[in-house]
Amino acid sequence: MTLLQVRGLTKKHDDVGVLNGVDFSLCKGEIKIVMGPSGCGKTTLLRCLNRLQEPSSGEIIFDGEEITAAAVDIQQVRQRIGFVFQNFALYRHLSALDNVKLGLRKLRGLSDAEATQRAIYELSRVEMQDHQDKYPAHLSGGQQQRVAIARALVMDPAVLFFDEPTSALDPLMAREVANLLNRLHDEKVTILCVTHDVTLAKNLPGDVLFLNHGRVEAEAPISELMKNHANENVRAFFEQKAPSE
Amino acid sequence: MTFLEIVSILARGAGFTILVTLACILTGFFSGLLAALLFRLDIRPLNWLLHAFTYTFRGIPLLVILFLVFFGLPSIGLPIPPLVAMMLSLGLICGAYLSEVFRGALEAVDPNELMAAQSMGMRRIQILTAIEIPQMLRFSAPGMLNEFTTVLKYSPFAYTVGVPEILKEATSLALTTLRGMEIYLAVGVLYFLIYKIMMEMFLWVERRYAIPGFKQI
Ligand SMILES: Nc1ncnc2c1ncn2[C@@H]1O[C@H](COP(=O)(O)OP(=O)(O)OP(=O)(O)O)[C@@H](O)[C@H]1O
Ligand SMILES: [Mg+2]
Repeated sequence: MTLLQVRGLTKKHDDVGVLNGVDFSLCKGEIKIVMGPSGCGKTTLLRCLNRLQEPSSGEIIFDGEEITAAAVDIQQVRQRIGFVFQNFALYRHLSALDNVKLGLRKLRGLSDAEATQRAIYELSRVEMQDHQDKYPAHLSGGQQQRVAIARALVMDPAVLFFDEPTSALDPLMAREVANLLNRLHDEKVTILCVTHDVTLAKNLPGDVLFLNHGRVEAEAPISELMKNHANENVRAFFEQKAPSE
Repeated sequence: MTFLEIVSILARGAGFTILVTLACILTGFFSGLLAALLFRLDIRPLNWLLHAFTYTFRGIPLLVILFLVFFGLPSIGLPIPPLVAMMLSLGLICGAYLSEVFRGALEAVDPNELMAAQSMGMRRIQILTAIEIPQMLRFSAPGMLNEFTTVLKYSPFAYTVGVPEILKEATSLALTTLRGMEIYLAVGVLYFLIYKIMMEMFLWVERRYAIPGFKQI
């Protein structure tokens, strides 16, 4: 069943098209990877999908609702889209536990006890229960990311967006991210993941959406994209990424 | 009359000094906070008004504003009690400086965190109260302490509008006893004690709400 359907999505910055008509869909429980050269519009795409940036035109149908309409309560929509940022963006004045609790307290109106219980459960899901009282400044990049994931998951989102989940981590932690995403996928979490990390993409089950100059130029499993693909931009991208393969 | 007796007489005035200082600090804190938050709305005409507020209260001497309020307003039918006159002059001057401190501290809040809060579906006001203000207040601590001690040191101006604070008591005492040296020395000691206690209390609060590893990035 389709969870997210995007049609003809464009985004202009001062008349320069960053997204030039993006079409794709995402099914419930699916994991989809967005790849493409730097500056092709990957981050912009994610941010347009929950209207952190306003799209210039196009349709975004999320869970049956057209969410670019002016009348839409976008805050309500955003509560159902978990977003894990490249730099994790934990609230630095709150402990790991309070970072995860904040949404439950402020947006769901849960009691402190209930919120704590749910947050601890979510932190243990990403193996961070032993660090719940630490503040972001005292967590490693990988640990911050796990807290950020718990913070997104605790709201029980219909879909989880990741922007470059491995770019701020060392290679070992990057491999852990693949494991974590696979585990979430097994638990039927729907995921849209932007990355330029070929290793990560190879270790994830979903199709790759290849974005170039704000357009989807290919959509296929990564193995196909890497096998002398018909599109020369795709070939150029993967040759540059993994020249030896 | 011993030095200790002098101090104990002056201490009666200390109550008024503390009252004036606290009243002006509170006025400054809330007017500064309000001004900083209104600046954040970024509405043109409002920005002009706020700039006018900060420039006026930072640019005109305290005594001039104080006299304008205390002696000027009654002449147009608005009598102002001395304490309120202090709040409207010294308090708002403190507020004008604090609004700059707060504005700077608001700028220091990481925009990525604000975007994260927005992406969670938090509304503007929720982001303000849950993220921006708590961080801003912590960033502002050194600037706030600075402004608060300035208020204490300018509080003797309350004497000029008839508040019986330390300096006023001291002056009366000095006139009748002619022991100015000891008396004004005692005044200095008292102000220093109040300053010290105030600072320790502030630092206690600051430590109480300190966050491990939290600093401006
Ligand atoms: N606010 C803005 N004003 C003007 N141009 C912008 C703005 N934000 C992004 N752009 C441009 O939009 C294009 C796409 O940016 P985006 O951040 O989406 O790329 P990306 O695919 O995420 O790149 P990277 O892989 O480097 O993260 C870039 O060319 C960028 O310069
Ligand atoms: Mg990007």
